[in-house]
Amino acid sequence: MTIQFKSITELRAMLDTKSISASELTQESLQLAQKYKELNCFVTMNEELGAKNANSIDLENKTTSMLSGIPLAQKDLFCTEGLRTTCSSKILSNFIPPYTATAVKKLEDAGSITIGKTNMDEFAMGSSNETSFFGNVHNPWKKGYVPGGSSGGSASAVSAGIVPAATGTDTGGSIRQPAAHCGITGLKPTYGRVSRWGMIAFASSLDQAGPLARTAEDCAILLNEMSGHDSKDTTSLNSSVPDFLENINQPLDGLKIGIIKEFNLSDLDPEVQARFEDSKKTYEKLGAHFVDVSLPNISASVPTYYSIAPAECSSNLSRFDGVRFGYRAEDTDDLNDLYIKSRSEGFGDEVKRRVLIGTYALSAGYYDAYYKKAQQVRRLIKNDFDHAFQSVDVLMTPTSPNTAFKFGSKGAQNPVELYLEDLFTISSNLAGLPAISIPHGQVNSLPVGLQLIGNFLREDQLLNASHIFQQNSDFHLAQPNLEDF
Amino acid sequence: MDQETVSTICYLARLEIDKNKSKKIIQDLETIIELIGSLQTIDTSSIDPLYSPLEMTALTHEDIENSDNKKEKFLENAALSNEDYFLVPRVVE
Amino acid sequence: MSWETVIGLETHVQLSTKTKLFSRASTAFGASPNTNVNLIDCGLPGVLPSVNKEAFYKAIRFGMAVNAQINQTSIFDRKNYFYADLPKGYQITQMDLPIVLGGSIDIQLEESVKTINITRAHLEEDAGKSIHDEYDGFSAIDLNRAGTPLLEIVSEPEISNAKEAVAYMKAMHQLVTYLDVSDGNMAQGSLRCDANVSIRKKGVKELGTRTEIKNINSFKFIEKAINFEIKRQIKILEDGEKVTQETRLYDSSKDETRPMRSKEFANDYRYFPEPDLLPVIISDQEIQKIRDEFPELPKEKEARYQRELGLSEYDSQIISSSKSMADFFDASVEKTKNYPLLSNWLIGEISAYLNKEQIEIHESKLTADKVAMLINRIDDQTISGKIGKSIFEEMCLSGCTPDEIIESQGLKQISDDGAIEEIIMTVINENPSQVEAYLGGKDKLFGFFVGQVMKLTEGKANPKAVNSILKEKLK
Repeated sequence: MTIQFKSITELRAMLDTKSISASELTQESLQLAQKYKELNCFVTMNEELGAKNANSIDLENKTTSMLSGIPLAQKDLFCTEGLRTTCSSKILSNFIPPYTATAVKKLEDAGSITIGKTNMDEFAMGSSNETSFFGNVHNPWKKGYVPGGSSGGSASAVSAGIVPAATGTDTGGSIRQPAAHCGITGLKPTYGRVSRWGMIAFASSLDQAGPLARTAEDCAILLNEMSGHDSKDTTSLNSSVPDFLENINQPLDGLKIGIIKEFNLSDLDPEVQARFEDSKKTYEKLGAHFVDVSLPNISASVPTYYSIAPAECSSNLSRFDGVRFGYRAEDTDDLNDLYIKSRSEGFGDEVKRRVLIGTYALSAGYYDAYYKKAQQVRRLIKNDFDHAFQSVDVLMTPTSPNTAFKFGSKGAQNPVELYLEDLFTISSNLAGLPAISIPHGQVNSLPVGLQLIGNFLREDQLLNASHIFQQNSDFHLAQPNLEDF
Repeated sequence: MDQETVSTICYLARLEIDKNKSKKIIQDLETIIELIGSLQTIDTSSIDPLYSPLEMTALTHEDIENSDNKKEKFLENAALSNEDYFLVPRVVE
Repeated sequence: MSWETVIGLETHVQLSTKTKLFSRASTAFGASPNTNVNLIDCGLPGVLPSVNKEAFYKAIRFGMAVNAQINQTSIFDRKNYFYADLPKGYQITQMDLPIVLGGSIDIQLEESVKTINITRAHLEEDAGKSIHDEYDGFSAIDLNRAGTPLLEIVSEPEISNAKEAVAYMKAMHQLVTYLDVSDGNMAQGSLRCDANVSIRKKGVKELGTRTEIKNINSFKFIEKAINFEIKRQIKILEDGEKVTQETRLYDSSKDETRPMRSKEFANDYRYFPEPDLLPVIISDQEIQKIRDEFPELPKEKEARYQRELGLSEYDSQIISSSKSMADFFDASVEKTKNYPLLSNWLIGEISAYLNKEQIEIHESKLTADKVAMLINRIDDQTISGKIGKSIFEEMCLSGCTPDEIIESQGLKQISDDGAIEEIIMTVINENPSQVEAYLGGKDKLFGFFVGQVMKLTEGKANPKAVNSILKEKLK
């Protein structure tokens, strides 16, 4: 019996009926990872500890949570005690954290088994997983095509059915866009819903952890465990966490969905546009109705983001200096030389580019024009959302303007070309809002994602709307043909 | 972006640019700066910056010790250390 | 030509919280290297700070004491720069919204009191320590101090010479220790300052180019460093050259300042609001609580000592000048009634002893109980003042109580008139010629008889009784 492509709910049933043990499940998952090694989803495997943890679940012989005995993969940006954590960077290629990130710890405390750490864009900076020190990750749907990024390894591993779900982080679309490109479901929660403790920071005011899974229902299962206040992260929300599974089946009658006027969808690939129109019809059939809303400043999202995120990252990445952990260059003359060589050899080009941009945006004489200006525009964007949510429940956009593309085909000449891939996803990070991407068909045999953006703390509405959509469609059931791998 | 600005920025960030790539990187930086410079057209007078999506106040910790010292592990992770200290090339103040 | 010095001081006060500003690691001094360090202090990837509110309370107490404006909404900023003992590559500090704004402090000069205005005081984290000389070719990094809360107090450039700078730092020391904001231990770096020094021609309005002397940590060095720097700058100006704006270090072994090499590059700190910390708000209730629990300040103590305990102005001032002395006095006052004698002892013998040993009273073997007991024994005439002094010496050495010393050494004063009379008669009988001379008008010889009595009693005879009985017998 294969466990490949099975959802958490399906695996749960198998475990509960004892048709498989947690140990067998973990072994099969690890074997699948080995079998599809060429996808390059994983940076580090967790065979020994994974097997041990699965075994103790079997010995305990009682199910305490939905995730008990379920194998998961963790993005290699979450610190895991005793297990190498690299952020897909040379500078951390030998880093063994002495502690575990809260989000991962909560999932493990719920009985899930971490089978490995997934490949990603270096320090989560990228939209195609092409900036990893450990090489490109393939899209399971087409060899030589990007899985999206930055959580590309997590998306690829779930899409290939190696694990039913994985963790990711989303700073400007890094969960949703790879989920869309790999044909799976990915949720970025409200900023502050999931603790950032132990998540290696890219841009502190934008970063948020969330689940990637085969279904919205499975996302709800993970979110139930990952969420909640953490005293170690004083920006984590102190509000109560609802049971995200409880209301997932509510009918959608009367749901008001907003379409953002400023996003001119006719500029998109007609096929991408056609899928979007189809999904609108599906939702209409399910009882929802559509309202055009205006978010006048939303088109400023990309430049706003590319001022704020690099600024925060330039500071966040200063701790990688070769002194207390991480890569240190050899043969250095003095401390400054040690800093410069360790960092220059340890970081890849995209990371350097963003650190330099951020340094520039914060430097004397430019702070007001770039950084502060962007934070002011950010408020305008948030105000636009606040206004829109007075008349609608959720907003709907494509997740990405395109499907997955060939390795090396974008951004090589002009990095901004790749930044524009994030057009639809970035604004919810700026405003701290939850957003989900669900598969809604294919264009040229590559998956396309549909994004729903919710109001502050309304992940429940997003999961409900996504689950009902998946109950009435089968896009999420499509499986890639993995013959080439 | 003139060469001097690029050198200053590189020094502040403690990064050096590969000579072969420097032209391209500077060009990329200029493109990105042009992108973020487009914000100048937006009127933000009297708009307060939004530094965090959470407009709340900080939670604080009590002044009670809760040490989580892992000295050996900390020093182990360093590229160079002895039994007590992290070591770096000697600094002359 | 006549020159004028302008000095502004940036004082770094280590706040006496139990834990660090952004982590719950201990701030205790003297721990073995890198043990008061947790994940946050080590600046590991993925860690986040959380604010220690006690540091805010202490900062606010300081602000209230100098009559400053308290910003109840406080924002932290990141100050970005690379240094080996700065784990994150940035320091968390307060740039735009410091907790304390304005205020002033009075400094005591020889003849007068001068008011120095305070620009601002903000909270920030301290860096770790680099040890440069112990390991061949390497600097060793100890992060124990990293994250310790500091209050950086910036004065207006209103200080005119080294003596005033010392007086300012002494006033600061007195205030922060009184407020229990800091232990004020300068040797351990709890109170240190950077001095911005510039020179201008008398009568000129614009400030001269300044240099910043970093990290001065004793009153003596403040005076020496500033005086050296003033002379150096005046010489440069008199030679017709220009002072270079730079950061300098005071080298006490050579008694000179020299430019700091590690700061040679002009820095651009790229301050921006710390995104890992939301604004900290101090409520009106919290402010009221701090006000209600406000400690008694030196001036208030001085007045109380005069009003309630009848001490002289001079004594009151000396005792209240140091927090540890005043605390000791307050504790002793509970145990004895003879306040003037107690204050005499504190200002006299006890201060002399502490000065000689270069220690604070709480570091000695003296306790309020023991000193009060000593005063009581003198007061009730168990011992004479003179014997009291030798008992005091013994107390300082052994830490025994006065009663233990009196008992073990048999030092109890002889106040029994009969016993004293007997000894006096012996002295009179043994010195007939002196008695004759005295009775013949040589009054000065009275002291001789007293001395003889004291000699025979090893100083234990009650001097008052000796006096009156002698006078009687020598009539």
